[in-house]
Amino acid sequence: MATLAEFLAQLDALVDEARASFTAASDLEGLEASRVQFIGAKQGRLKAVQKELSGVAREDKPTAGKRFNETKAAVEAAFESARQRLEGSTAAAGPGPLDVTLPGKKQRIGRLHPITQTIADLKEIMGRLGFTVAGGPEIEDEWHNFEALNIPESHPARDPLENFYLAAAERNVGPMLLRSQTSTVQIRVMEHTEPPVRIISLGRVYRPDTADATHYPMFHQIEGLMVDRGVTMAHLKSVLRLFASSYLGADVHIRFRPSFFPFTEPSVEVDMTWGEGWIEMGGAGMVDPHVLSAVGYDPDEYSGFAFGLGVERLCARRHGVADIRDFYRNDVRFLAQF
Amino acid sequence: MIVSWDWLRQYVALDMPREELERRLMMAGLNHESTEQVDGDWAIDLEVTSNRPDCLGHIGVAREVAVLWEQPLRLPATAPAESGGDRVDSLTSVDIECPMLCSRYTARVIRNVRVGPSPDWLRNRLQTVGLASINNIVDITNYVMLECGQPLHAFDFAKLRGRRIVVREPRADEQLEAIDHHTYKLQPGMCVIADAEQPVGIGGVMGGADTEVGSDTRDLLIEAAEFDPTSIRRTARALGLHSDSSYRFERGIDPEGVDWASRRACELILELAGGELAPGVIDVGTSKHDRAPIALRYEQLPRILGIDVPRDAVSRILVALGINVVRESADRIEAIAPSWRRDLTREIDLIEEVARIHGYDTISEDVSVPMARSARTREDRVLERIREVMVGSGFDEALTPSAVEEPLSAAFSPWTDRPPLQTQTPVLRRANQLRRSLVPSLLEARRTNESVGNEEIELFEIAHIYLPSADALPKEPLTLGVTSGRSLGDVKGVIEALCDRLQLSQWPAVEPHDDPLFWPGRAARYVLDGEIVGFLGEVSESGSAVFGLRGPTTVCELSLASLIDGAQLITTLEPLPQFPAIARDVNLELDEGVLWADVEALVRQCCGALLERLDYLETYRDQERLGPDRKSLLFKITLRDAAGTLTGSRADEIRDRIVTTSEQRLGARLRSS
Repeated sequence: MATLAEFLAQLDALVDEARASFTAASDLEGLEASRVQFIGAKQGRLKAVQKELSGVAREDKPTAGKRFNETKAAVEAAFESARQRLEGSTAAAGPGPLDVTLPGKKQRIGRLHPITQTIADLKEIMGRLGFTVAGGPEIEDEWHNFEALNIPESHPARDPLENFYLAAAERNVGPMLLRSQTSTVQIRVMEHTEPPVRIISLGRVYRPDTADATHYPMFHQIEGLMVDRGVTMAHLKSVLRLFASSYLGADVHIRFRPSFFPFTEPSVEVDMTWGEGWIEMGGAGMVDPHVLSAVGYDPDEYSGFAFGLGVERLCARRHGVADIRDFYRNDVRFLAQF
Repeated sequence: MIVSWDWLRQYVALDMPREELERRLMMAGLNHESTEQVDGDWAIDLEVTSNRPDCLGHIGVAREVAVLWEQPLRLPATAPAESGGDRVDSLTSVDIECPMLCSRYTARVIRNVRVGPSPDWLRNRLQTVGLASINNIVDITNYVMLECGQPLHAFDFAKLRGRRIVVREPRADEQLEAIDHHTYKLQPGMCVIADAEQPVGIGGVMGGADTEVGSDTRDLLIEAAEFDPTSIRRTARALGLHSDSSYRFERGIDPEGVDWASRRACELILELAGGELAPGVIDVGTSKHDRAPIALRYEQLPRILGIDVPRDAVSRILVALGINVVRESADRIEAIAPSWRRDLTREIDLIEEVARIHGYDTISEDVSVPMARSARTREDRVLERIREVMVGSGFDEALTPSAVEEPLSAAFSPWTDRPPLQTQTPVLRRANQLRRSLVPSLLEARRTNESVGNEEIELFEIAHIYLPSADALPKEPLTLGVTSGRSLGDVKGVIEALCDRLQLSQWPAVEPHDDPLFWPGRAARYVLDGEIVGFLGEVSESGSAVFGLRGPTTVCELSLASLIDGAQLITTLEPLPQFPAIARDVNLELDEGVLWADVEALVRQCCGALLERLDYLETYRDQERLGPDRKSLLFKITLRDAAGTLTGSRADEIRDRIVTTSEQRLGARLRSS
């Protein structure tokens, strides 16, 4: 009486041998000989093993029987494939024709949000220019959002109506607000890093604007900062030109117009050529000496530039999005277009 | 600031084409907004940044033109003829009771004026810049303000009770009807101009109606004062009353131009309305603003700007701007800023002045920038993989607002029991709660999509949530949120694909979970190292109702910090196996209460190191064949021995061990086929 294990071992061996034999056959005659040897109705090896099935213990019978059937099917399939191989083109067999013009089975592939795609582009370009991504919190204290950025208490930018202050202050933090610019990250990085610094920060910023086609109370900014010995406004202009040219894939020129931001001086509005004319890119300037001092840098030793651009504007212009509220409506028909 | 071309021409020659003027002013800091033709004159709208209140008058703009075109600036003389009568201080008095709010107040008195219409030239000037003509006196005060930037006010002197001025904070419950004929409630901290009895003006913002100059006015008191910018801004905002006057005081006026403006107005009044100017001026308070010399080191110009500016150009620019050069030496120039340029206090301020007049177009856009190392952050690299998996699994990426409405915020907050942080003003309509979970925002986006008839709504978002902290800035964990029309099992499979792609060395365990948002028994939480890192569930009918959803949805939220830490971005190759694997199917009948997790743990224990994979295949239920509350689990084990060929009999042994052990521990029975 065979144990189940012995029986199953026989089956495994049988499959392997039969496959080897069928594969080895070089013509139909040889294959027929192999067929008789393994699946022959009277004296085939399979038949012989089947007889031993009766000798398997009763409780093992279901398993043994199932495995025998699997073995038989496997051997037969191996023979069939060998036969087809040897009959070659003479055989009419095969899976049969298809209407190949029927639509394929569609795989749903999602889309990345256009803002994410734009941000990825910007990060990649700035990465090639040696800028590393840094991050910071969206809920800020007044030191990082204002004081360290040279925005004193009396400055109109600190008006509660110009910001999203939180309803309750925390004990050790004081008043908190949703950051109104990503420049806060500059401070956080410089507080903990010695120059040289070359970073960009990207993220959500918040300003109380009524939502309309061109305003939204939440938007994304990219902020760049470079501080080292000998960094000048010419570096600022050149980096912005490389950046804009890379983004648009064309030779772009940069224009500075004087402006005013508390945390840079000189401060400028940046325009770039786009098509026929100039379009506004964002704000920039040389890091104000007060800001350098606030983070413990010596303004006589180090200088630096900073710039900030609105991501939505770049993205909307690139894709022809006329209403920036669409970015946050998340209609899948909108998202599917990017 | 709207500037009239003809008016500007009174102070400086305008020989250039108008477009050239607009362009150069823009390139020097006065952004050109628009230009309109008004009766043969041009109204040129210029944007004046908040640091340049000196350009809130025509003279200030003319000075910029004079500097840019190297032309002389012609200022009007201001020497009004005084009459021979009583001195002004015998006619009236001024007391400042709140010097913090009003540092200086000057008054002049003119008697016997003839109030009437303004001459055409004056009407035209005001018309060009968009101001209606009232009468000659009011028009002159407006004209002088728009000329030099110093707001003025003319009172009907006879209507001032006690013929005196008291500058003070309002008394309890005081109010004033202003010349706009609205009545304003005055509050502590505001600066009131009062007569002997009651308020007659809101200092620096607007005068009162009952002391207004009208056709029957004979005698005038001309006010020229300096008010505290912060107080003016607060007052204007609190009263919702913004005037040309408050706009200028908020930004700061020229302290040395106060009396000039008063004399200029009196001169024009005498010329256009007649009358006699009482000799002298009442000038109360001080407006001392110390202005120390600022040193500009020449070497700082190329160090900051990246260009050399010739020294004579530096000095010419500073002098033309009214900056008083007190000393020039080999390495520096020392200068004192004019009173109207209180924004100039530091070396960097002078550098900016030189730069903007010299021209930013002289700065090269083609210098070489030294190369620097930069690496993509681990976070960015992991997030990119997560996005790849989500997009590849058929999800669109959403970006939803960070704030939600109260009921939606309350509907799901699995990470914290603390109430959400709130903004003082809503970020969007009604949405003033900073989200503690991405799920409410995503379900809102789902509803938006349902409402326009979109059928396949598969969304994910990666964003920060905001968890209040007891005594520090809030925590802002980066989170992945998902809403899907697919089943819990489908979404779970996507998360498993995610864990797989991140090659996490340790996958989060899954435990049953309860939350009111989900159907009972159809939710789970993810646990890693004893910490909950995520939630997964099918939204119940009541949950859907909160969000107004029609169709079913499965949602999932994962905190990404541990995934970012645990992801293996760079793996070391494991050699491919040299020996074959053997697979065995196992079909166990079990009580419904036995979880797959229990079976899985048992299988892993029984197989030990030989287990290569464990694949769940299906669950089968049949009341009659299996009995009530029973199910049959079919799964496949794949075994491989790294050290040699595994025999079929060894595989069977292991399979048998699984069956026996699960019979003993889980009450299982091998299912016969």
